[in-house]
Amino acid sequence: MVATVIVASIVAAVFIAIIAVSVVNKKKGKSSCSCGCTGCANREFCHPAKSKK
Amino acid sequence: MSIKIALVGNPNSGKTTLFNSLTGANQYVGNWPGVTVEKKEGKIKKNKDVILTDLPGIYSLSPYSMEEVVARSYLVDERPDAIINIIDGTNLERNLYLTTQILEMNIPTVIAINMMDIVEKRGDKIDIEALSAELGCEVIEVSALRGKGTDAIADAAISAASGAKTSHPLSFSRDIEVALSKISAIALAGMDEAKKRFYAVKLFERDEKIIAQLSLSKEKLASIESLIASIEKNYGDDSVAVLTNERYEYITDVAKKTCKKKSVALTVTDKIDRIVTNRFLALPIFVFVMWFVYFISIGSIGDWTVGFMNDTLFGEWIVPAVSAGLENIGCAEWLVSLIADGIVGGVGAVLGFVPQMLILFLLLALLEDCGYMSRVAFIMDRVFRKLGLSGKSFIPLLIGTGCSVPGIMASRTIEQERDRRMTVMTTSFIPCGAKMPIVSMIAGALFGGSAWIATSAYFVGIGAVIVSGLILKKTKPFEGKPAPFVMELPSYHLPVATNILRTTWERGWSFIKRAGTVILAASVIIWVLNSLSFEGGLHYITEDRAGASILEIIGTGIAFLFRPLGFGSWQAAVATVLGLVVKEEVVGVFGSLSSMADADLALELVGSADSAGFAIIGLEFFGGSRLSGFSFLVFNLLCAPCFAAMGAIRREMNNAKWTAFAISYMCVFAYAVSLMIYQLGMLFTGNGNVVGSIFAFITLAVFVFMIVRPDKLVKSNKKDALLDA
Repeated sequence: MVATVIVASIVAAVFIAIIAVSVVNKKKGKSSCSCGCTGCANREFCHPAKSKK
Repeated sequence: MSIKIALVGNPNSGKTTLFNSLTGANQYVGNWPGVTVEKKEGKIKKNKDVILTDLPGIYSLSPYSMEEVVARSYLVDERPDAIINIIDGTNLERNLYLTTQILEMNIPTVIAINMMDIVEKRGDKIDIEALSAELGCEVIEVSALRGKGTDAIADAAISAASGAKTSHPLSFSRDIEVALSKISAIALAGMDEAKKRFYAVKLFERDEKIIAQLSLSKEKLASIESLIASIEKNYGDDSVAVLTNERYEYITDVAKKTCKKKSVALTVTDKIDRIVTNRFLALPIFVFVMWFVYFISIGSIGDWTVGFMNDTLFGEWIVPAVSAGLENIGCAEWLVSLIADGIVGGVGAVLGFVPQMLILFLLLALLEDCGYMSRVAFIMDRVFRKLGLSGKSFIPLLIGTGCSVPGIMASRTIEQERDRRMTVMTTSFIPCGAKMPIVSMIAGALFGGSAWIATSAYFVGIGAVIVSGLILKKTKPFEGKPAPFVMELPSYHLPVATNILRTTWERGWSFIKRAGTVILAASVIIWVLNSLSFEGGLHYITEDRAGASILEIIGTGIAFLFRPLGFGSWQAAVATVLGLVVKEEVVGVFGSLSSMADADLALELVGSADSAGFAIIGLEFFGGSRLSGFSFLVFNLLCAPCFAAMGAIRREMNNAKWTAFAISYMCVFAYAVSLMIYQLGMLFTGNGNVVGSIFAFITLAVFVFMIVRPDKLVKSNKKDALLDA
């Protein structure tokens, strides 16, 4: 029972963290595309505010 | 105080490679023009006070293309402290045209002659000192690819930034110089002396953006116009052409004094190009190359890695170990199932394709870096132009092979709005990295891992682009002549390991990250929905208390839509819909559901409950029908892309109606193609369905009509020509 509660809590925490990070990233304008931003030729299009800074 | 240095040069001259070398950045380097469409900034590794800006490749400072507008606006408005003008040494004359314009800006400039290794290999010689004397600025040999001379060019640019302004070495004919002086006096009084030359030349060229920026009175504009008109009358040409001609006369003279070419014999690149771009051989060679890429990555080595990852690593080792571990510590049965079947099954199904994806990305990066993919753009341009499409659309398609999002965004370089919209709508037809696991899964589950399935998926994508182009070009919103596409083919060179590995890792790591985040969360949701049932009250499904799961009820509710396409199972329907979030989730859904499938079913199908994934997918979810599997594959390749790509479409269209039209078009197109594949395929294999076949033939007739119907534009052009005659 204790093991179930602990492991289930970990799974729930990971699940909530993934959803929360995805929502935050979405609000920040981060794209979830498959190429990754550091190597992307067009990253400036997704992050115009950041590049202006 | 920081120093701003701009990196300026022709497309594909090696700016981004030099930028990466100087700043340690990881910017994407593509071996075709138009890779950099926005400026990027980085700090020089050895001097953090120096900010280096990588500008898009341009041929001139005229604002004809978006890249030219971005680069020129930066140079004019920001006025960097120094410019590094990178020149491709193998094409000195053409590159110097931009140099003559840069030097007119009176910003301290140093010139980096790149690709000197190729110049030397050809036996050509460039007299660096003489060139420096002719241009009036420091000239340094570099090889951005090998990192030679890069520190020297950075040091030279830093010292130039604090030094005197560069004077422009090119003087036009006397009467033109007089006209430029008069224009300066009329319109540029009070302006910084350093800027006057550039503005005067641009006013002489009637540059609309500069005229608008200066807000000149009508009287001043009229005076300038009379000066320009008088020169044009004397030279019998328009002002832009007059200056261009004078620039090239100057460049020819400089090149004659500083560059000695060994001979005009064919280079290795020319010899290779004679074969790979041959009118008749080019396309078969392209098909063979792509088949070979997929044979290695999906068929042979790739198939082995997937077999090992899915069946052995996850099927026999990880899932049983996780189950046993959780059971040993006393976790409840449902939690063991959630983690072992739902999460590890779903995430593992996607991660199982990582080695395959890495091999594919590596091979594509090799083709790109050595210069072959540029030839593909050239080959396809020839095909596209014959069909009335712009070859410029093919660059976003090439970029979209990695991920549709940057491919869609790369369509910004297309000036004509109708061509740009059409490119945005068709870029995601090309199978991106995220779609490849679907291809590989279907190939493995139903076609014995054949490389032809992946090859056909790639060419179905290209075919869809061509057919869409032919159909859409004949409709009013897209009609018009295709935009001209000028592209320089880079010399072939040995791929650089760091470039290849960096690109491969970037794409691969992004794939892994998504498996550990979005796919993991989706797997939990899939498990929950597939483990609970409403029948007889909400309950967890067990052997004792069965019932249709919530996911099954939802899937069955939408499966009827896909029944005419041959994949009417609720599992395939759920996978297709969830694939709209991220395409890898199609595989994730099948992974979770096959892991959760009854062990008895697995034993019955393959005699083992641990490694039955592909067998369950093929036999249970697609009824063992290859046609159903291929139809499912084509539908998922061509229908609306993932959320991220849809977001990119929305941004690029900048219009809700156009976005809705684009996504609807893709879905309808995918549905029509899959319907024809399945129904006509069934008919030819002797299992045809009368109603389905009738609909498939009607769809085929509509397609044929849309493709072959006369083009109104061509018709009206012919009519105009006849009237003129």
